[in-house]
Order: sequence, then C-alpha cells, then structure tokens
Amino acid sequence: MIRIRGLSKRYAGGAAALDGIDLDVQSGEFITLIGPSGAGKSTLLRCINGLVTPTAGEVVVDGEPVTGASREGLRAVRARVGFVFQHFNLLKRLSVLDNVRVGTLSRLGIWPSLMAHFPGTETERARRALRRVGLLELEDRRADTLSGGQQQRVGIARALVQEPRVLLADEPMSSLDPALSRSLMELLQYINREDGLTVIASLHVLDLAISYGGRIVGLRAGKIVHDGPPAAMTSSVADLIFGGARP
Amino acid sequence: MSSAGRWAGGLAMAAALMWSLWSTDVSVRRLVEGAPFMLDFIHRMLPPDPSVLGQALHGALQTLQIALLGTSVAAVLAVPLALAAARNTAPRWLFYCTRSALNAFRAIDTLVYALFFVAAVGLGPFPGVLAVVVYTATVLAKLYSEAIEAMDPGPVEAVQAVGASRLQVLRWGVLPLLGPEFVSFTLYRFETNIRAAAVLGFVGGGGIGFYIQTYLRLLNYPAASTVLLVLIVMVMLVDFTSSRLRARLI
Repeated sequence: MIRIRGLSKRYAGGAAALDGIDLDVQSGEFITLIGPSGAGKSTLLRCINGLVTPTAGEVVVDGEPVTGASREGLRAVRARVGFVFQHFNLLKRLSVLDNVRVGTLSRLGIWPSLMAHFPGTETERARRALRRVGLLELEDRRADTLSGGQQQRVGIARALVQEPRVLLADEPMSSLDPALSRSLMELLQYINREDGLTVIASLHVLDLAISYGGRIVGLRAGKIVHDGPPAAMTSSVADLIFGGARP
Repeated sequence: MSSAGRWAGGLAMAAALMWSLWSTDVSVRRLVEGAPFMLDFIHRMLPPDPSVLGQALHGALQTLQIALLGTSVAAVLAVPLALAAARNTAPRWLFYCTRSALNAFRAIDTLVYALFFVAAVGLGPFPGVLAVVVYTATVLAKLYSEAIEAMDPGPVEAVQAVGASRLQVLRWGVLPLLGPEFVSFTLYRFETNIRAAAVLGFVGGGGIGFYIQTYLRLLNYPAASTVLLVLIVMVMLVDFTSSRLRARLI
C-alpha cells in the first residue's frame, strides 16, 4: 500500500528531519509510529501525502508516486489519503457538517464547491461519517463550540468522508486527556478493522502504542530504529528509541 | 525601569506639557471671556429651521453614498495591496516596499486627499469619493495584511490535505478564516468614513459638509443646526447598524 525508499528531508538551515527512511506498509495494517518529539514523525507522515516535499527519496502510495507528482497527481493521492491533525485544524466558524463536507471537495466540481452546493449524496456520506464518530446530533453546531475530543472526532469524520485507502494521524491524542485518548484510539482501531483501512498513527505515549499498535515503528533522529509487533517492545528497545528518557 | 529613569521621564513629560501650553496660547481668561459668545452661538442656532430639511437630507444621502462607494472600492483595492504587504504572502523586497508606501500614504488624511482631487478633477462628490478610496485603501490594506499574517495555517493545510484544488483551498480554507475579519474591518472603516465624508464638503468634496459650511458662512445658524442634527442622526444610525452587524460576524 505504501512504499518508502531512501526518504530524507532537511529543512532550510536545520538538521536532517528524516535520514534515509525505508518502510513498506501492507494494506489494512495498523501502525503506530513512536519516538521523542523532533524524531521526524510528523515530517514522515506529511511526506506520505505530499504536504512536505522531501529532499531525497521516493514515496509511492497505492501504486501512485507522491514524490515528483504533478499538482494534479498529488491531489489525486491526497484524495485517497485521510489526514488527522494534532490540533484538529477545523474551520472554527463553520458548522460541524460543513467541516466534514470539506472532505468531499476532491469529488466536487469547481462551481458547486465555490457556491457551497453539496450534492445530497455527499451530505448523506458526511452524516454517515458523523454517525460513525458519534456526533450526528451536533452537525449544526459551530466547530469551535465543541470540546477537544469532539473536535478531533470531527477531524476523523472529515478524513473518513474522503473514503480513503489510508488514514494518517499525526499525534491525534496529544491535545487530549488519557481517557479520551483511549476512546479515540479504539475508534481508529475500529475503523481499521471495519473498513480494512490502512492506518498510521504517530504517538508520543508508548503504552498507547503497545495496547493498540498492530505494528510499532520507532523513529529516532530521523531514522527507523525499531520495527516490530507490540510483543517485541522491550524496555531496552524503548530505551533505544527514547534514549533512556522514557515518557 | 529605575526610579531615576521614572523621575527623568516624568520631568520630561511635564516640560513637554508646559512648553505646549505656552506655545499654543492657552488662556483661561480668553475661554471665560468667550463663554457668552458660545452661548449666544448656540442660542442663535435655536430653533432649527425645518425648511432646509430637504437639503440636509439630500446632503446626508450624498455623504452616505460617498462613504459607501469609497469604502467598497477601497476594500477591493486593499486585498491585493494586503497580500503584497503581508510577511507570509509577499517576498521580502515587495513586503518592505508596500509596507513603507502604505505607511507614507496613510500619514495623509482624507481631507488633504480631497483638496488634491478637487484641484485635479473639479468640485463635487466625485473628488470626495476618490479621497475616501485612497485613504481607506491604505488603512484597510494595513488591517487586512495584519490579519493575513496572524492567520492560522492549520485549517488551510487541512483543506489541502483532502485533495482540494487551489481555488477550493481559497474558498474553504482561506475565506472562512479571513472573510469575517475583512468584512468587520471594512464596516468599521465605513463608520469612520461617514464622519470623514461629512467634512469633505468644506473643501468642495460634496456631501452634507457643503451645507454646514454654507449656512455657517451665511450666518444662517437655524439652518446650520438642522443640517447638524441630520448629520448626528445619520452617524448614530450607521454606527448602530454597523456595530450590530460586526458583533454578529465574529
């Protein structure tokens, strides 16, 4: 589903964020990406949907190249890749339903999207996504009136309505308290099993990864230092990833 | 700040105030002596002369039109100017050029622009509109560009991430963030421009100011007071409506 070869990213005037990443992800896998902050988790996820252009290397998603893709090609890839953000990134003044319908834009013609004229079928899809995340009754509320956990559910619904092949989640819990983190992790796992959707979620909390990750990939200083099932996550591996400073 | 510094600052401020008092010929005696004339002035304005109400309303309407047209055109012009004057949308050289130019032009008030345009295109409301456009465009460009700089990039990134086209990103990422702010700034400037446009008539720029000035010069105080009353009512109505609209936007 995802093939990454020799991926490197160096930001202007900074150290390497990613340094020669090779990674293969099979369809339907549930991967948790762990590592200390600054390890390059966010950059890696953003290279997969082309929000960040890597310095070197190759990314292929579902047979389509992301690196070196034209603007049209990139849009086509992004349409099939849902992205859930650490800070939700909702449009605060818009309604919950409109925020979710943003996820349908890639299927919408230019006129209807400019005039905010969503076809009934897309609105139905949006409502179905809201029902799955348990927020259907809040569709008319302004997004900024929701709690943090609810806002992140809207973010997940926005990604689901794309009907993606892959769901990338960039530290989706780090703005939320532990109980909410667990329920959101369960939601992601449920979506992964129900839809066979490939999920990659970056986390900075190790025990969440151990409880929910089907496969744990450890990142440190832009390199993959561990890749295995939760059972292989020993304390020495954790030390290797987090450098003794375990969270 | 050290206590010595505070003392020095206080002394400097006191000195500047004394100097200004002395230089501007401030005199309590003259104020007291002038009081009867002020009372006489107000006395002669009463009662207002209702026969000029039609003229006053005509002038008020023209002032409203000058402010409406001038503010709207300025709002449109200010958008590209703001993009050129925002750190995060313009290249460095363009940002510095536009910011400096805007600061320079903003130092000149609408009334001064009106003098310039009256000389250029003749008397009437048209030079008034031009004056409002130029000054308001520079002010709005500054306000818009600050809003652009303060914009949260997150939601825009999210709209890009669903595979939206550039136009869709503008419509669904940028517009919901900036639209209400821009409209709110523009309404606020419209309120201020009503006052600015009301005095444009003093220099031949059309609107209600023409009648205020004419009747004061003709010493027809009852007529002047009618015009002033109409002006007050109009300003209050516009302020009330506009501030309610703004409160609903944000």
